[in-house]
Amino acid sequence: MRRVLVTGAATWTGSRLIQAIETRPDLEVIAVDEIPPQVELATNVHLYELDSPEFAHFVIDTKPETVIHLQTVDRSALLGGRRAHDEAVVGAQALFGAIRRCESMRHVIARSHLCVYGMGPRNPSVVHEDDELGERRSRYAKDLRTVEGFLEDASAVRTDIDFTVLRFAPIFGPEVNNPLSRYLRLPVVPTRLGYDPRMQLVSGKDAIEALVHTIDSQVAGTFNIAAPGQLFLSRILRLGNRVAHPLPRRAYDIAVRGMERADLYLPQHIKRLVHHGMYADTRRMREVLGFVPGQDLRETVLDGYGLLAPGVKTR
Amino acid sequence: MTLSSLTKEQLLKLARDHGIVGRSRMNKAQLVEALSQVTSGPSEAPPERDPTTRRELVAARLSSFLDQSRTCNWRSVEGHPCGLPTVKDHNRCTLHGGLDGRDLAIPATGTLGFETWPTLLRHVWLASYDIDPIGLDPVVAEMLWHVVNYLYFEYFRVEVEGVENIPTTGPVLMAANHGGAALPYDAVMLTLAVVNEMPLPRRPRIMATEFFNAAPTLSHLYRKIGGVYAARSDAEFLLSEGQIVGVFPEGVRAFQKPFSQAYQVQRFGRGGFITMAERHGAPVVPVAIVGSDEVHPAMFSSTMLARLVRMIWPSQRVEEMAVYLNLIPLPIRWRIRFLAPIQPSHSGQDPDPLEMLERTEHVRSHIQENLDRMLAERGSAV
Repeated sequence: MRRVLVTGAATWTGSRLIQAIETRPDLEVIAVDEIPPQVELATNVHLYELDSPEFAHFVIDTKPETVIHLQTVDRSALLGGRRAHDEAVVGAQALFGAIRRCESMRHVIARSHLCVYGMGPRNPSVVHEDDELGERRSRYAKDLRTVEGFLEDASAVRTDIDFTVLRFAPIFGPEVNNPLSRYLRLPVVPTRLGYDPRMQLVSGKDAIEALVHTIDSQVAGTFNIAAPGQLFLSRILRLGNRVAHPLPRRAYDIAVRGMERADLYLPQHIKRLVHHGMYADTRRMREVLGFVPGQDLRETVLDGYGLLAPGVKTR
Repeated sequence: MTLSSLTKEQLLKLARDHGIVGRSRMNKAQLVEALSQVTSGPSEAPPERDPTTRRELVAARLSSFLDQSRTCNWRSVEGHPCGLPTVKDHNRCTLHGGLDGRDLAIPATGTLGFETWPTLLRHVWLASYDIDPIGLDPVVAEMLWHVVNYLYFEYFRVEVEGVENIPTTGPVLMAANHGGAALPYDAVMLTLAVVNEMPLPRRPRIMATEFFNAAPTLSHLYRKIGGVYAARSDAEFLLSEGQIVGVFPEGVRAFQKPFSQAYQVQRFGRGGFITMAERHGAPVVPVAIVGSDEVHPAMFSSTMLARLVRMIWPSQRVEEMAVYLNLIPLPIRWRIRFLAPIQPSHSGQDPDPLEMLERTEHVRSHIQENLDRMLAERGSAV
């Protein structure tokens, strides 16, 4: 029986992953988060602030073999920018400090986001896992890079542990409720006039499957996780029968502020994504990690808009 | 009417039509003698190639890859049929997996003209096809192709030599001389030369500066029609996929030079393209382009104007700007010559700096020699 510690149990991915692990007889799950989850879980969620020393000692005492660090989501809308930054960076410092002292540890998985590559006019069109890029990173991307840095430091000390970083594309799906999916589901979507970004997404189901696959396969390394394919934002909105409303910069900023009033907060890294766009190479995900997403991008988009009836072929 | 009664200009024109070698160095008597050997008189001179028929020839060759009698069996989720002709011996059209329509530039409709726009716009509206990782959109590229063909065949009357020097498969790196002052006409004409003249049309991907990434509308349009941002990793990505990458190693330096330096090939940067070609085993095809420097003759290049542009648009890093007077491009007769490919050495390691410098200079001087020869052979520019 392998003991798996999952941080960020209250996040969308966290609670779905815990539900998936609960059905497995060979895995025992320990869930941690700062806030209680919104869905019913059979597992008791331990409420800890990640940046407190008590949490680090809790990790050492429970002796997990696998740690899945999912509490790297952008919680600046929920907790405020400064608190979110503390939780992400200092929390990761505490967690990776504990991992260094944990003798039983075999595998560490950290969730990251494609926005760590930064987005802007001087980035290459196709980014790879090994690229070291510094172009126009948002605050969240900088935090994620720091977290990955803690992981790299720990991997230099503990060579007996496999360290895996999964850089996810934005998650989109029928029950997903993150800022980007709320933005894409607006009936009229404000976009930047003169820009049509290339985008990648991954369906919620595939994101969970990628995590479960990584727990089982225990492959070390950094991987971009995205559905195969790439589409322009305009085409994504067309597939979902949404109207794109291009706006010049000032008007777009006003529209985004209006959306924030209406409880649709667009974080900086998502604003960068729908302005410049990006594409991350996923060859290593297929060839080294051995994970192939069940849905390609077109199916992910149609499924997220509820247009994918069972048995319908998309290609 | 005899040959000797013609003026020297008329004789030179005849000599060009008959392809007499070394005609630019001949005097009038030599020209008459050379011409009398190949023809009995000016009345039998071959007729001028008609641009419409030339375009129709290209269209006929491209449509021979498609089977117009059958339609693609693709259907969208809502049940919209595709309606495009299939590729020969396939059940699908070029957009829906019959062939790689992105690499092989075969028009999905099989014809070249504005009448295909409604069909193509329908596919843009249905978002029925995939784009490539860089952002090439085969349908938008095809729509623009039909527009620019008018420039290619009728306005600039591009003549192409040496397409057989472009390998038909595998990665290729084309290095061309740059010019233009206003718009990168040469990038467009180079693309069309490969797409229109090769027996099996391949689509070259031309590298562009970050200016395109930052400028509104251009930022996505240049990707959709087949441009690539000039990042080394992007070029290597395309070469590793076996595509044709086109580079202008002179960069903006050539774009800003005044007309007095027309067709003088500038220094080729640091020669990074040689390393890229070597790493991916890609032959380097030097390309000499005559015409691009005269479309917008630049009076002089101004640093003051560049400073003004930087004040208005600080993200642009221009140091000099060419100043030209004509707003519409001049109808210059273009010539594009693909030179013999330089094969990679397959040594398995990057060339050292001196070797790189020598090989870069070799490509540069090869292009310069051919430019000089082509300019000497050319009669009038228009």
